[in-house]
Amino acid sequence: MNTNNEIVSLTNIIKNYDNGKVITKALQGIDLKIYQGDFSVMMGPSGCGKSTLLNIIGALDRATSGSVIFNGKDFNSLTNKELSIIRRNQIGFVFQNYNLLPVLTAYENAEYVLMLQNIPLSQRKEKVMNLFKEMELEGLENRLPRELSGGQQQRVAIARAVVTNPLLVLADEITANVDSKTAQSLLMLMEKLNKNNNITFLFSTHDPIVKKFARKVILLKDGRIDKEELSSENI
Amino acid sequence: MKTIEVSWRNLWRNRTRTYVTISAVALCIGILIIFQSMIVGLIDKAVFTTTNLVVGEVQIHADDYLNDRSLYKYLKNTEKIKSIAKKNNIGLVERSYGFGLISSGTKSAGTQFWGVNPESELMHFDFAKHIDQGTFLSSSSSNKIVLGNKLALSLAAEVGTELVVFVQGADGSLGNELFYVSGILKNVADNIDRSAAIMLINDFNILFSANNMIHEIALNSKGNFEAEEIQNLMSAEIKNVEIDTWKQLMPTISLMTEKMSVFMRTLFSLIFTIAAGLGVMNTMIMSTYDRMREFGIIRAIGATPWRIIRQVSLEAIILTFIASIIGTIVGLSVALYFQKYGFDVTGQGNLSIGGVVMDPIWKSSVSLGIVLLPIALMMLISTISSLYPASIAARIKPVEAIHYKK
Ligand SMILES: Nc1ncnc2c1ncn2[C@@H]1O[C@H](COP(=O)(O)OP(=O)(O)O)[C@@H](O)[C@H]1O
Ligand SMILES: [Mg+2]
Repeated sequence: MNTNNEIVSLTNIIKNYDNGKVITKALQGIDLKIYQGDFSVMMGPSGCGKSTLLNIIGALDRATSGSVIFNGKDFNSLTNKELSIIRRNQIGFVFQNYNLLPVLTAYENAEYVLMLQNIPLSQRKEKVMNLFKEMELEGLENRLPRELSGGQQQRVAIARAVVTNPLLVLADEITANVDSKTAQSLLMLMEKLNKNNNITFLFSTHDPIVKKFARKVILLKDGRIDKEELSSENI
Repeated sequence: MKTIEVSWRNLWRNRTRTYVTISAVALCIGILIIFQSMIVGLIDKAVFTTTNLVVGEVQIHADDYLNDRSLYKYLKNTEKIKSIAKKNNIGLVERSYGFGLISSGTKSAGTQFWGVNPESELMHFDFAKHIDQGTFLSSSSSNKIVLGNKLALSLAAEVGTELVVFVQGADGSLGNELFYVSGILKNVADNIDRSAAIMLINDFNILFSANNMIHEIALNSKGNFEAEEIQNLMSAEIKNVEIDTWKQLMPTISLMTEKMSVFMRTLFSLIFTIAAGLGVMNTMIMSTYDRMREFGIIRAIGATPWRIIRQVSLEAIILTFIASIIGTIVGLSVALYFQKYGFDVTGQGNLSIGGVVMDPIWKSSVSLGIVLLPIALMMLISTISSLYPASIAARIKPVEAIHYKK
């Protein structure tokens, strides 16, 4: 599946958190490329900088130094507004805590991003309904997040992340709050989306199940890439 | 799903908080509607008392009479005016004026003589009822005079005092008659207090050798018509005369009441709506902090800060809108009740303005403006108040908010 089509290119990314008293060196020089169709996972102990790196790739946060080229655009040269438009149109996020909007139904949570894109109602409906069918979410459309199980909520969150057909989906510890069976089914689902819809995924996790599905594993240690290896089982 | 619907649902996440805020805002709007209607009612009443006293709602004079009060500038077509007034059931009095000298013993004073018809004055105006000593004229009181109280004082006149009157008649001859004081008025209005000597119109005609020279027609519908309506009614048919409303005749009073009304209403409306606006702001700040993480998510998935500002402000606007409806229903019902039935303020002593005693039933006066002013102000102030919490929400850094623990 690796088409050698580069989506993200990171060069010497450094990220320091400065809370006024201490400076935390979260990332200390990361070079990384992500290609169209990747299904990669970042692993490493807690605090090694996985979330920080995902946030920087996803234009949620800016690096202290170094460059992020996303789909040919240098984040350093973009305004915050331009970054939020990139997030809206080209990037999908899935978070550990599902983070669905509690006042919106499952359907509306997925529809919301399309609304931000000013897509007309009929097209929104078609896109969301098709995706819900594909993701086995049919029948749950009108439930509020609190009326769904953890696994179902995460499924809706994935639907929200992919409904816009983004170039890249970033998934931060998304199996941390679900049991292993649910984790397995979520990953199968994403694998399917990766294969059928050619959506690129980048995970961060502790979870060995995720590793099992990944085609590339990036090992992070103390803010540096320790090892990048292709997973033999999944190629 | 529309932004407005999302805002609506968010509003009801903390029901108690929203109910309390809506009640507070509704209460403010209700109170403002009631309060303003009372103020306007009081001012209307003061105006009514004033116009009812002697001026009337509209006066008609011969052209230029008000600039140069000459005996010869009298109204020529009074019959037509009278028929219009009668048709519309508007009270009307005719008055003749002339200047001269009055003396009592060794004292004398320049005087404005009024020739009046006592029955119509009593029927349509109040000043004739404000008698301090003696009695007002009746149709049989020839050679009687009613004096303004300051004039009586300067002449040292009392009821029954003999007065000698000197005037120049319409034919140039000297009018010279004896009169007796029938009554002395209370404080009515400064010019009347100082210089009015009121007599029957017949006596006036004899004194001034005049043949029914009417210098002034005062019209009073007692509130059935707006002054301007009467003015239009008359000026449509009566030409070459000066037709003025009380507002034109007494510009200072008109301006003062208008300014007082606007000032009081705006001041109170501002105080109340700003207080309520702070309540709205507090609610919105609390609900914003409750939802930090959600705003972070919305930002993360690509919403612009402007969209978040709109959503938060919309919540405040919806809240205020609901409160406006409730406040208007409650406030308007009370105000309309007091407009119909009024309330009796006799218990608190006499209601008097400028020495003129007013009817003790205080009624409110409802108009569109008194409803729209507090609603518009409240909407404006709520929207402004919501901008601060909205900007907090919009400035949230998604990374921090997503990990924000409340
Ligand atoms: N907002 C922040 N402010 C200060 N330090 C932070 C912040 N976010 C993360 N860190 C620190 O940066 C390092 C990397 O954190 P993180 O990227 O969350 O690691 P991981 O996701 O791999 O557990 C940690 O030491 C963490 O304490
Ligand atoms: Mg993490």
